[in-house]
Amino acid sequence: MSELSLERGLAAFREEIDAPVAAFFSSCIRCGLCATACPFYVETGDPKYTPILKLEPMRRVWASEFTLWGRLKGLVGLAPKVTDEMLAEWEELLYDSCSMCGRCSLVCPVGNDLQYMIRKSREAMVASGHAPEGLIGAASRAIRTGSPMGLQWKTLDVQIKHVESSTGLEVPVDKPGVEYMVLLSSMEIINFPEYLEAIAKIFDHAGVTWTLSTDCYEATNAGIQIGSKDIAAELVQRVVDAAVKLKVKKVISPECGHAYTAIRWEGPNLIGKSYPFRVFHIIEVLDELRAAGRIKTEGKETDRLSLHDPCNLARKSGVIDQQRNLMDLVADNFVDLKEHGKYQWCCGAGGGVSSNERAEHLKMAAFKRKKAQIEEVGPDRMVTMCATCRTQLEEGLEEFNMDIPVVGLTEMIAEHLVEKEQRA
Amino acid sequence: MAHHKTLGESLRAHGVSRRGFLKFCAATASMMALPPTMTPAIAAALEQARRPSVIWLSFQECTGCTESLTRSHSPTVEDLILDVISLDYHHTLQAASGEAAEHAREVAMRENFGNYLVVVDGSLPGPDSNPGYSTIAGISNYQMLMETLEGAAAVVAVGTCAAFGGLPQANPNPTGAVAVQTLAGDKPVINVPGCPPVPMVITGVLAQYLTFGKLPEMDQYNRPLAFFGQSIHDRCYRRPFYDKGLFAETFDDEGARAGWCLYRLGCKGPSTYNACATMRWNAGTSWPVEAGHPCLGCSEPKFWDAGGFYDALSVPPGDTGSTLLAAGVSGAIIGGAAAALAKRRQKADLAERQPVKIDELEQKL
Repeated sequence: MSELSLERGLAAFREEIDAPVAAFFSSCIRCGLCATACPFYVETGDPKYTPILKLEPMRRVWASEFTLWGRLKGLVGLAPKVTDEMLAEWEELLYDSCSMCGRCSLVCPVGNDLQYMIRKSREAMVASGHAPEGLIGAASRAIRTGSPMGLQWKTLDVQIKHVESSTGLEVPVDKPGVEYMVLLSSMEIINFPEYLEAIAKIFDHAGVTWTLSTDCYEATNAGIQIGSKDIAAELVQRVVDAAVKLKVKKVISPECGHAYTAIRWEGPNLIGKSYPFRVFHIIEVLDELRAAGRIKTEGKETDRLSLHDPCNLARKSGVIDQQRNLMDLVADNFVDLKEHGKYQWCCGAGGGVSSNERAEHLKMAAFKRKKAQIEEVGPDRMVTMCATCRTQLEEGLEEFNMDIPVVGLTEMIAEHLVEKEQRA
Repeated sequence: MAHHKTLGESLRAHGVSRRGFLKFCAATASMMALPPTMTPAIAAALEQARRPSVIWLSFQECTGCTESLTRSHSPTVEDLILDVISLDYHHTLQAASGEAAEHAREVAMRENFGNYLVVVDGSLPGPDSNPGYSTIAGISNYQMLMETLEGAAAVVAVGTCAAFGGLPQANPNPTGAVAVQTLAGDKPVINVPGCPPVPMVITGVLAQYLTFGKLPEMDQYNRPLAFFGQSIHDRCYRRPFYDKGLFAETFDDEGARAGWCLYRLGCKGPSTYNACATMRWNAGTSWPVEAGHPCLGCSEPKFWDAGGFYDALSVPPGDTGSTLLAAGVSGAIIGGAAAALAKRRQKADLAERQPVKIDELEQKL
């Protein structure tokens, strides 16, 4: 059987180095601003977590293979080599201490997209066999069971039955020709079943037709997190096949950050063709319904609420106003964190960090930045729209003994819907 | 030779009036950018000056500098001042010839040892060159200069050949020509470059030396600042056209006829320091730029090798253009080759690419 090897890793580096990467490396001015943008560096103070240093293996390959000087140095044996030992050392830097939040890319004064290069570096880490076990496990379960957490349809089926009995509404499954196909994340199915209930209520309220698919209900993409386009493409293809089979024109990505960027932005490139449908984040759909007057709410939350923007949604996809429009609908006392929207700080768990048990201490260290942001504002509750962020906020706030509950925005909207009888 | 006579006495003997003499002194003062109050000082100095002995050596030259000198246009006093300095040896101008001529030089050297002024026009083959390239009375230029310099108070290098090597030294310099200052050792050198120098500048420098008995203030090329302190461009009467961006593009276009700036026709005025623009030539009649021709930059070192006379200054001199082009092209080829190599390797990698399979990943668990 074939094996992952250093050679395949180096080939992957070469393959991933494209014109933007070459331009980025040659234009880096070594100012170190990326370090001050990175929660892992800021909260640990360890210079090895400087984002550009995390890219050193890729930089070495670029320098020795794609620059004249590097090739000449290589000829006389002066070019530093990328070895298995080096990649093993960098595994922690490329996975454990990076949530691919993209804040470094945002602040880079010469416009280098570091996050893009981290994503590409991970391709080589996978090909050389240097991916963390936790992520390999998640990828394996995603491919073999359809869920990175190893869930099976029967688990979801139990939740569906539960939602149907508590709401009296039907949860449509495998219904062709409806408007939306709804995707979920395993984290929601296990930790936050209220999301599915909220969807059922809101769509019933707004008169939206939708369905789940037994072929593919999982939106998350372990291939994106571990950094393997082969695995990521396979997972994206499942979504495409399911949507095509049900002839839907719109697919909804759930309250999850990376799932959205995976299916919305990377997906068509991964499978090499455009979709016959459009992809939305649930927050985008809800805001459209709100704007169209199809969501009628009553009453408002009166406690002090603040919002955590998921990196993938706000910084990387520009979904920033939508969640605030929705907050205004249901919250009286909403206050933004000081740095929010595209400048928000990562919760510390994204980009595969939360699936990587080994990274637990770093994940909590990075959370301290979020904690400081929350303490500045002092809200009674936090609202967010990503299951991973939400879990991290809950765990982190508990770790630091802060009594601040975390809620999902979708379920908060659902709680304020005007009852059908009253509307009529 | 009337060594006992002062300059003033000589001038009066030659029929130069006191008024004429003072006019010359005032002109000299203004020429050298001295305040008018210096005129009496110049007059007094010149009146008292003993006629210094001057030995004029001509080496690898075209006699243009001497021609220029003899056309000195100021009042005839300038001619007189050349009469009254004791020009003891000058190939072209002296009446003596053969052994008598050389004898005059030897006598002047012996009698004025340590005090005479040496004027040189023309460059000379350096000490390492074949001495036969230029000889006078069987003596090589190098040998003659060295023995004449021995008792000299100072040396004035007249013309660009003497000052900077000039045409003989221009690439490929077949005679191994060198400038006087490279051989002068610790003797003071005054360079009066130009091809040829402005006549009044030659006489002016000599007058200044006589007046103050010391070397004038000089720039980094040992050129007297009084005459070489400002660029042609800064004093050019066509400068307003340059400032307005009005340029002649050819020698017969409207701009040329209207007298616009000649910069684009290769004028070296901006990088040339000389007095042409202020003193002009042929008794103040005109000067090259006024006649419609760009400045060649003849008073600057290496002006023969500084690129085409008709290339604008912004065009790099010499073959730098083609060198740059060649460097750029070879760089592009090497870089392109490196990029192509990298690209080919990338393609090969892509062709042999093994997709990562889940069971391969699982082996790592």
